[in-house]
Amino acid sequence: MRKGMFYGLLFTAPAILGFAIFTLGPMIASLVLSLTNYNVFKEQTAFTGLEHYVRLFSGEDELFYKSLGITFYFVLLRVPSVILISFGIALLLNLNVKGRAIFRTIIYLPSIVPAVASAMIWMWLLNPDLGLINSLLSRLHLPTSNWLYGESSVIPSVVLTTLWGIGSTVIIFLAGLSGIPRQYYEAIEVDGGGWLHKLSHVTIPMVTPTIFFNTIMTIIGSFQVFNEAYILTQGGPNNQSLFYVFYLWRTGFRDAEMGYASALAWVLFLIILFFTFIVFRSSKSWVYYEGGDRA
Amino acid sequence: MLQPKKSVFLAMALVLMLAAVLSACSKAEPADPGASASSGNAGPKEKITLRMTVWGSPEEVAPYKKAIQNFEAKHPSVKVELQHIAADYDTKLTTMVAGNDVPDIAMMESGTIAFPMAEQGKFYNLQEFLDTDTEISPDTLVPNITYSLEPGNVIGIGPGPESFGLFYNEDIFKDAGIAPPPSNVADAWTWDEFVEVAKKLTVDTNGKTAADPDFDPKKIKQYGANISTWWGVYSNFIYSNGGDFISADGKTFGLNQPEAVEALQKISDLINVHHVSPSPVQSKNIPATNVALQTKKVAMTVDGQWASAALAQSKFNFNVGVMPVMKEPVTTVVCGMFSIFKSSKHPQEAWELLKALLDPEASIDMLTAGTWMPAPKDWYTDPALLAKWTENLDARPSGYKEAIVDVILTKGHQTPTGYVKNFNNIMDLVNPALDKVWLGQQTAQEAMDSIAQKAQAQIKGRRDIKE
Repeated sequence: MRKGMFYGLLFTAPAILGFAIFTLGPMIASLVLSLTNYNVFKEQTAFTGLEHYVRLFSGEDELFYKSLGITFYFVLLRVPSVILISFGIALLLNLNVKGRAIFRTIIYLPSIVPAVASAMIWMWLLNPDLGLINSLLSRLHLPTSNWLYGESSVIPSVVLTTLWGIGSTVIIFLAGLSGIPRQYYEAIEVDGGGWLHKLSHVTIPMVTPTIFFNTIMTIIGSFQVFNEAYILTQGGPNNQSLFYVFYLWRTGFRDAEMGYASALAWVLFLIILFFTFIVFRSSKSWVYYEGGDRA
Repeated sequence: MLQPKKSVFLAMALVLMLAAVLSACSKAEPADPGASASSGNAGPKEKITLRMTVWGSPEEVAPYKKAIQNFEAKHPSVKVELQHIAADYDTKLTTMVAGNDVPDIAMMESGTIAFPMAEQGKFYNLQEFLDTDTEISPDTLVPNITYSLEPGNVIGIGPGPESFGLFYNEDIFKDAGIAPPPSNVADAWTWDEFVEVAKKLTVDTNGKTAADPDFDPKKIKQYGANISTWWGVYSNFIYSNGGDFISADGKTFGLNQPEAVEALQKISDLINVHHVSPSPVQSKNIPATNVALQTKKVAMTVDGQWASAALAQSKFNFNVGVMPVMKEPVTTVVCGMFSIFKSSKHPQEAWELLKALLDPEASIDMLTAGTWMPAPKDWYTDPALLAKWTENLDARPSGYKEAIVDVILTKGHQTPTGYVKNFNNIMDLVNPALDKVWLGQQTAQEAMDSIAQKAQAQIKGRRDIKE
């Protein structure tokens, strides 16, 4: 028994230590740093208490509210899109058609393309004058857009570029769908129900745990959007795509204000925690776990 | 039973953590040059190592390597360890500084972290070396290539000065029967003359020019001019018009003043009124200067002289003239700099290395290719030395000597990043406001006035005057 415990701890030690050293340690450090005026280049670091947090919430830092607003808008636009579209695609990929494996591969493929490469592709596709998308639209006599280069179109455009990387969300939905027992559908067939009945009475209730998981992961991922601002827009035009994490990065690594950037990071952490908590709480009323009570 | 298990785990965790911490420490050790002097073949003098970080393309790194070879040959007791950081240079250097893993000498950019570091006393004052050195002094260097935290505190010296010129495709002018831009600064075009020529050279898909009443600005095939909306380019015209980013006494925000506003407005008018220059959105379609000129997408473009390197490889008739003049002929001089970190234990050797890096003989390939210009002044004034990098070369067309070489020596203006304190934070306000000007949604006056108050709050003074 004692020996088993020892080996158990020995084998989990890399994971535990990895977490302690590379996640927990830095987190505590950043919490402490957020209470100081730590600047990488400064020899002296002074304890400033809650000064950074006061500066954030007092409205003195306009870019904080601006970037927060932009990020909320992005989350609001992206999360429902990702969930609906990836669920829709998963339903299609779950059909028993020829070449199903190929379609599944195609959908997942963009997820393994490096973020930088796919951003470059989208920059070309969305180019207002030469891009494929605008030239298709104008050929169909539809209105074109400035996409990433327009103040009002930049956030929807970024959402669009991130949608092509939903492969992993689709895969998780597929796993959820394939876990639904056939008998339920057969029961509906016997009762004379159609595909809509199957969807609303069996499929959706049975995948609510998957929807729940994907929603949480998408919310977290959307709040942390960075690559797109860094590569596609640099926060422009006119600061309309100044995502929160991009602003945080700029504060920490360009301006070297690590203390302030740590405060920004902790505010984001609390925001994400809050929304995750809300979704968890709400899940009691809509997530159904087979073979158990509601969560 | 529970107690011992817990302590076993704790002890193990502690041991592993300790090991991790220790190994992290020992990694930093080799930075201490004393520890690396194990070879023992250097005779009486201990062998020392200088670490140096640079960015740049492989072609740009090659001359550093050559300079290092020359330097090591002359100083056998010194070994230079070159660290080439190709991407995210500033982020990585910031991390190195945070981790006390600092190089001895580093290439720095005046617009980013060089001044924030200097303000925290991270660099040697190179003035002290310049004062005692017999080979170089500020007078032997091209003006505007040293960067100072404040008068008398030099934090970096640029190895390759760059100025701006008006690059153009000679064939377009020949075909249109228009005289190309003059290369002599005395004959430089006025702004209005420039606009007139640009109009004649802006052509839509029906063959009409911007000077034509039937001209369709939505279907432009060839732009007469391309003036980028980057501060490096528009600063030339602000200075030329007598404006500045900040007032001479360093107390007032300058971009909402009449001279600067007029210059910004005139550039915006090129895009939105005269339709001769691509907007920021359209310029996403404009390829790099060499391709834009070669494919006749653009007739003339204001760009840094580094563009000559790519132009030379493109094999077409390009040339360079002086930029149009608003009031005074001026060119902004921009370059990276070499700085020596205070933490270096071998400042004297680092200084010698810095001098070797400034030596044009080492970077002669970069000079003849067209990417760089030399740092020492005599390479501009001594005809034999000047010939080495300006004559009989693809990258040096006929207008080059007058339009670039003469202008940088006599009409140079320091880059705003070199003397405006808090430049980045000011530009964080200016750039978004200017987006609206380039799009024609606001006048330059409106846009600059709208942020003037906030920008004024970010004004921290000038580096080139004593306070």
